[in-house]
Amino acid sequence: MDFFSALRISGGGLSVERTRVNLATSNLANAETTRTAAGGPYKRLDPIIEAVPFNDLLPGSPNAPSAAVVSSIAADNTPGRRVYSPGHPDADPEGFVTFPNVNPIHEVVNLMSASRAYEANSTAVETLKSMALRGLDISR
Amino acid sequence: MRIDGGSIDLHIKDTGIRDIAPPADKPAAGASFAATLGDAVGSLEKMQTAADKEVDAVAMGGGNLHEMALALEKADIGMRLAMKVRNKLVEAYQEIMRMGV
Amino acid sequence: MKLFDGTLTRVERSLDVRLLRHTVLAGNVANLDTPGYKPKDIDFASAMSAVMNGGEMARSDGGHLDAEGNAAGGAAGQSNLPGLRVIESGGASPSIDGNAVDLDRTMASLAENAIQYGASAKAATKKLGILRYAISEGNG
Repeated sequence: MDFFSALRISGGGLSVERTRVNLATSNLANAETTRTAAGGPYKRLDPIIEAVPFNDLLPGSPNAPSAAVVSSIAADNTPGRRVYSPGHPDADPEGFVTFPNVNPIHEVVNLMSASRAYEANSTAVETLKSMALRGLDISR
Repeated sequence: MRIDGGSIDLHIKDTGIRDIAPPADKPAAGASFAATLGDAVGSLEKMQTAADKEVDAVAMGGGNLHEMALALEKADIGMRLAMKVRNKLVEAYQEIMRMGV
Repeated sequence: MKLFDGTLTRVERSLDVRLLRHTVLAGNVANLDTPGYKPKDIDFASAMSAVMNGGEMARSDGGHLDAEGNAAGGAAGQSNLPGLRVIESGGASPSIDGNAVDLDRTMASLAENAIQYGASAKAATKKLGILRYAISEGNG
C-alpha cells in the first residue's frame, strides 16, 4: 500500500467535481439555446458518477476503498418549457418555441455543491501531503 | 600432592584455568561471543538490504514513504552500532597488545 | 541481536493502518456525489488488534522487517495487512439520490487521522533518535 493510491482516489474525486462544474456551466450558458447542431433545443447534461472499488490495497478484503469516476454523460430528455412566440425563427408550426430544460437555480446549486466537494477533495490531498512529509521526517 | 608408601604422586590440582582456545564442545545457545558478533553483522546486512528494497520501490514509483524512512533509519542505526562495536574491538585489541607479557 | 522493541513495531503498524484509513476516507470524499454510495471506514482499534495478533505481523513485502531485522519474503512494494476490513459506517441519512456521506464528519475524521499519523511518526522518529544517541554516545 502506498501514498499514491490515496492521491489517485482524491485526484479522481477532483476530476469528477470539475466535470460537474463544467457541465453545470455549459447548462447555464445554454439556458436559452433553442437551436443546436443536432436540431431542437439544447438538452441539459448530467454526469453519471460511479464508485469504482480500489482493490490493490487490501487484496482479499470483502470491502475496499472506492474511487469515483464519471462513467458517462447523459442528456436529460425532459421536454423544456414551451413559450408561445410565433415570430421566433425557431417556432414550430403552432407558434410555440421549445426552450432548453435548464433550470438556472438548479444549475447554480449544482455548481456550489460541486465547488464545495472540490474543496473537500483538495483538503484531502493537502492532508495526505502533510502526512507524507511527517512520515519522511522519520529519517532526518 | 599425595605421599603414599614409597612413591610420591604429584598431581597438579586442577585450578580451573582452561585452554585459551575455545572449548571443543558446543557452547550454550547465544552464549558464544563469536555467535553474537556473527548475528550482529548478519542483521546489519539484512537491514541494509531491506532499506535498499524500500528505496528501490519508492524510486521506481509507488512504494511506501514511511516504511522507506523507517527502514533507512534502522539501517543507519545498525551501521552505527556495528561501527561502535568495531571501534571497541579495535581498542580492546590495542589495549591487549600494549600489555607487557 | 534485538535492537527494536515491541513499541516501535506497534508504532510502525499504526502508521500503516492510519494510511489505509486515510485512503478509505478519501474514497468517501471522492464519492460525495455518487448516487447510492454508502460511506466506508476502518475501526481503528479492532484493526490494530487484528494486525498485531494476526500472525507475526506478516508482511508480504520482501523488504519489510520484523522486530529483529529479518526480512519477510514476498513481492516488493505491496504491504498486506491481514485482518483489516473496510466496514460500511453509518453516514448521514441518505439524500434523495441515496448518497449517505456526511461531509463534515468525514473531514473531521480525516483531520483526526492525520494528526494521529503525525503523532505516530513523531514517536517513531524520537524513539529511533534516542537509540541513535545512545549508540553514538551523544555524538550526533
